Amino acid sequence: MAQMWITMGPQHPMTHGLWTLRVKVDGETIVDTDAELGYIHRGVEKICESRDFTQITPYCDRLCYVSAMTWANSYIYAAEDLLEAEVPERAEFIRLISAELQRLASHLMWLGAFGPDIGSLTLMTWCMRDREMFLDLLQELGGSRMHYNYPRIGGVKRDIPVGFADRLIAKIKLFERRIDEYEMLLDESTIWLVRLQGVGYAKAEDMVDAGVSGPNVRAAGVNYDVRWAHPYSVYDQVDWEPAVEKPTSVKGADCYDRYRVRMEEMRQSSKMILDAIEKIPGGKNTNYSSGDEMILTKAPTRAPEGATGFSNYECTRGASQFYIQGGGEGRGKNPYRLSIRSPMFITIPYVAETMIGYKIADIPAIMGSFDPCIGETDR
Amino acid sequence: MGMKVTLEQSDNAAGSCVEALNDRFSGSGVESTVEHHSNAFKMAFVRINATPQHWLAVAKFLKFDLSVNYCSMVTGTHFPDGPAERGWEVAYHMMRMPVSNVEPHTNTTHVAENLSGNDIPLEFEVRISIEQGDSPTVPSIQSLWVGADWNEKETWDLVGINFEGHENMHRVLNPHDSPDEFHPLQKQHKLRYHGHNEMYDDAQGFGRKPADEGRNK
Repeated sequence: MAQMWITMGPQHPMTHGLWTLRVKVDGETIVDTDAELGYIHRGVEKICESRDFTQITPYCDRLCYVSAMTWANSYIYAAEDLLEAEVPERAEFIRLISAELQRLASHLMWLGAFGPDIGSLTLMTWCMRDREMFLDLLQELGGSRMHYNYPRIGGVKRDIPVGFADRLIAKIKLFERRIDEYEMLLDESTIWLVRLQGVGYAKAEDMVDAGVSGPNVRAAGVNYDVRWAHPYSVYDQVDWEPAVEKPTSVKGADCYDRYRVRMEEMRQSSKMILDAIEKIPGGKNTNYSSGDEMILTKAPTRAPEGATGFSNYECTRGASQFYIQGGGEGRGKNPYRLSIRSPMFITIPYVAETMIGYKIADIPAIMGSFDPCIGETDR
Repeated sequence: MGMKVTLEQSDNAAGSCVEALNDRFSGSGVESTVEHHSNAFKMAFVRINATPQHWLAVAKFLKFDLSVNYCSMVTGTHFPDGPAERGWEVAYHMMRMPVSNVEPHTNTTHVAENLSGNDIPLEFEVRISIEQGDSPTVPSIQSLWVGADWNEKETWDLVGINFEGHENMHRVLNPHDSPDEFHPLQKQHKLRYHGHNEMYDDAQGFGRKPADEGRNK
């Protein structure tokens, strides 16, 4: 049978964003693939070269519109490395809580988008309902639903509001029950199992060699996590362990393992948040005014030439990294060069290659299970 | 309770890597040092200053002797006003991860305090200075780490560093029909807006021209 190239995207539900997957098919079997990115390249790295260090945070929020808080935090740790800022412990706890809330919201967005890919439209409505709880909580911190501009170099913008802790605990406890509900809905659904199990195998070593990280690697049976391997924040003080899955085949993790690991990760995040809010220094019901030394310390605004800052951060989709070189315009007020490493930029070409050999109908399952986000990919 | 790699572990791991590197490459101009971050836990990492001609040898040593298995980031920087021997710089960030394939129905659960030797997660930063000129070139490490492939594509696309021996080099973020020598992160390309005041005067940018208008791009 003649082979032919098919173009999926840029407007295709499988893409979860705006990019093109070109697949060469022989009948229904995929024999070659080619990923094309760059549709929403905004030149963030270039823009940042003409912005102050504090002005860069909102741009980093907008790198990924479903996990803004983790990306802003990731930038802040690099800037703190560059500018040598100290962070009060209360601020580190608040950052941990905000980042884990964002992880819950992001994984729910993933599940909500992945469900319709597989044929379960119910998931979309359920996940959007629950995600709203966490967006409300994040709104209390940052003031808006999706782009918060919340962390600051040396702390956070403002303290947790009075009553936040109670609402947080109530919502997380409710959500822990809801995770069980999702699992009852999905793990007993034949369609869900048949479409995910035995599809999209990926081995741990291959993934690491190709630059894939985060939950996708943990699904293949290794508990490597930036949060303990390159520690930051106060993850060593709260109760959690990295979510890790037991793959069922020598060929590595399949789509079902990647779904399982994210569900487990949501449980761990919930556990972490409940523990952190009790351990927060200064008390969970106190509200320090903005700029108080409990939540923000003064940081330098200029970085000399030759200084560099680097951060390695467990974002919702893998390790996000920032590399900043100081000594830009305005006697070091701007970065000379700011470079962003997006986990998905490396993962998408890898996933396109793993698809070879599967059927064309498996593409949404394989692609969706890796949780692509094009905002961060194209930067 | 949570766990983490301690400062002492990362210090020792970085120290032994630096010793091995300096042993192997003494007198060749490749210098390695143990550095510390100044954020969070002040973790140690290995910084290597290499030259383009020694880079492939260093990369092979990293991969096969120090078990660096993750090429996470490639950054190119343009220094048009820099000294003659440092017109460009390429920085590689690499990680060592204790990741290996597992048997079916099992998993590997590392505990940070029990890790030792080449299993301790560690970060490597390799900086390569390239002399001034129109075609900065370093050897490609695409054949050593698959993950370097798209990172190098991106660095060529945005900064214009040539990776010698890289197969299938093409534009990834810029349009495929961009002019040949156009690499937007080079410093001769300026942003259209320089300050927020300019933006207030002409928010839509109708009357505005690029700052580098008339220059051959």
